[in-house]
Amino acid sequence: MILRLAVWLILGFLIAPIAIIVLFSFHASPALSFPFQGLSLRWYGELIGNVPLRGALMKSLVIASATAVICLLLGAAAALAWLRVSPRTRLGLEMLWLTPIALPGLFVGVSLLVLFAQAGVQLSTVSIVIGHVVIALPVLILTMRARLSLFDPSLEEAARDLGASQLQVFRKVTLPLILPTLVAAAILAFAVSFDEFIVTVFVAGTETTLPMYIWSMMRRTVTPLINAISTLALVFSILILWAAWLIAHLRRRSAIAARTSS
Amino acid sequence: VRLSNEWTGRLLAAPAAFYMVAFFLVPTAILLVYSFWTAASYRIVPDFVLANYIDALTSPLFWRVTSNAILIGLVTAAATLILAIPVAYYLTYVSRSQAILYLILITWFSSYLVRIYAWRTLLGTNGLLNTILLQLGLVDVPVEAFLFSRFAVAITLIHVYLPLCILMVVSALRDIKPELIEAARDLGTGPLGAFFRVIAPNAASGLIGAFMLTFILVAGDYVTPQMLGGSSGQTTGLLIADQFRKTGNWPLGAAQAFIMIAITGLLYAAILIAGRATGLLPRRRRPAPHKASQP
Repeated sequence: MILRLAVWLILGFLIAPIAIIVLFSFHASPALSFPFQGLSLRWYGELIGNVPLRGALMKSLVIASATAVICLLLGAAAALAWLRVSPRTRLGLEMLWLTPIALPGLFVGVSLLVLFAQAGVQLSTVSIVIGHVVIALPVLILTMRARLSLFDPSLEEAARDLGASQLQVFRKVTLPLILPTLVAAAILAFAVSFDEFIVTVFVAGTETTLPMYIWSMMRRTVTPLINAISTLALVFSILILWAAWLIAHLRRRSAIAARTSS
Repeated sequence: VRLSNEWTGRLLAAPAAFYMVAFFLVPTAILLVYSFWTAASYRIVPDFVLANYIDALTSPLFWRVTSNAILIGLVTAAATLILAIPVAYYLTYVSRSQAILYLILITWFSSYLVRIYAWRTLLGTNGLLNTILLQLGLVDVPVEAFLFSRFAVAITLIHVYLPLCILMVVSALRDIKPELIEAARDLGTGPLGAFFRVIAPNAASGLIGAFMLTFILVAGDYVTPQMLGGSSGQTTGLLIADQFRKTGNWPLGAAQAFIMIAITGLLYAAILIAGRATGLLPRRRRPAPHKASQP
C-alpha cells in the first residue's frame, strides 16, 4: 500500500513538470502562472511563420535520419557479429562499444572537438552526425543485445544443412528474424540524435539543430513559444517511441500468428 | 572459402569497432596528449608539461567548483537511487505494468532541454511554485532562492536522470528470485529488512553501478548548472565546457576533464571498499552462475 503510494508520487514527480509545460503551451496569456486565463492556439500559430525554427527542424531531421541509417548499418553488422563470436571476443567488443555510455557527453564532445581541430576538419553537419553516432550506437547495441540473446543459432545451421548458401541463410533466415529488432533500435537512435544537445554544442560549428535553437531561445528570454515548441518536440518523441514499439511487437506477433496457423 | 564462425563474426564486428576506435578512442588519446600541451596567446603549443594539472589542482576556483560538483553529484545520485528503488521494485515484483514502463520511457526520451526549462518555469520568481505559495499566503514575497541554487540544480538533475536510473535498477533486480524475498518474509523479516538483507547484497553491484553512472552523468552535466545554478551551483562540467567554448585554454580543460575522471574512479573505489567493510557488498565476487549450454 505504502509502496504503491510512493510509486505514484514518484511517477507524479516525473510527469508533472512536463505536463505543466504542455498545459501552458495552450495558455491564452503569456504569463506562466495560475489562475489559468483561457485556452488558445496562438503560440502554435506564431511558430508556423518562424523561418529559423523551420530551418533548425529540417537540419535536425536530416542529421537524425543520417545517424539512424549509419547506426542501422553498423549495428546490423555488429548484431550478426555478436551472434557468432566467442564470449571472450564479445566481452572485448562490448567494452569498446558501450564505454561511451558510461562517460559524460561532455567528455565525448570535447574529445571529438580536439580530434577535428587536430585533423583540420571543418565543423559541419557531417561532424554533428559523427558525434551523434558515437552517442547513439551504444544505445542501439545495448537495446539489441537483450533481444539478440533470444536468437537461436541452430536455425541458421538447419538452413545450411538443408543446402542454403551463406547468402540465402542471411536473406531468408537471419535477416527476417533480427530485422524488427534492428529497425526498432535504429528508430531509438533517431530519437537520441533528434534530442542530442550536450555533444552537439562542441561539434556543430555554425550549424543550428532544433535543440540548439531551443537553447538559444531559452537563454534569451522566457517566451511562451518555448512551451509550444517543447510540446511539439514531446509529441514527436512519443510518436517515435510508439513507432519503435509497434515495429518490434507487431512483427513478433504476426510471426507467432503465422507459426501457429501453419 | 568458408570462414569459421569466429572469424566471420570478427569481420562483421570490424566496421562498428573501427568507428568507435576512430571517433572515441583516438579522440580520447588526443585529449590526453593535449592535457600535457600548453596554450599561449590563443595558440596551442605541443609540449610535455604537467603545468595544466598543477594549475588545476592548485586553483581555488577549481576546487570550489569541483567540491560543489561532487556534493551535487553525491546528493543527486543518492536521491535518484532512493527514488528509483521503490519504482523498480514495484515493476519487478508487484506488477509488470507495461503502462508504467512506457511512462518511464517517455519521460526518458522527452527532450532534455525541455525538462530543464520546465524546472526553470516552476522554480522562477514568477514561477508556479512561488505563485502557489503567494496565493496560499505562506510567503509574502516571492522566494528568489528556488532558482539559481544548488537545490534547483539537484532537483532538476534528479528529474532528468531518474528514468534511466529506474531502468538500470530494474535490470539489477531482475536476477533476484522472488522466492528468496518470500522466504525471508516467511521467516519474519520486515519489508525493510528484506531489502537490506536479501535484495541489497544480491543486487549490490547493479545498484552501485546505477549510482555511479548517475553520479558520472550528473557531475559531467554542464547545461543544468548553466541554466539553473547561478553562482553557487557551478560544477566542474561547466568549468570544462567553458574552457572549450569561451576562454579557449583547451589543454587546461583537457587536464581538468582527466582529473574529474580520476576523482570519479577514486570515488568508485571508495564506495566498493566502504561496501565491503560494512558487509553490504559480498567480499568476493560470486562465480557467475553457469548457463546451461544449449544442445
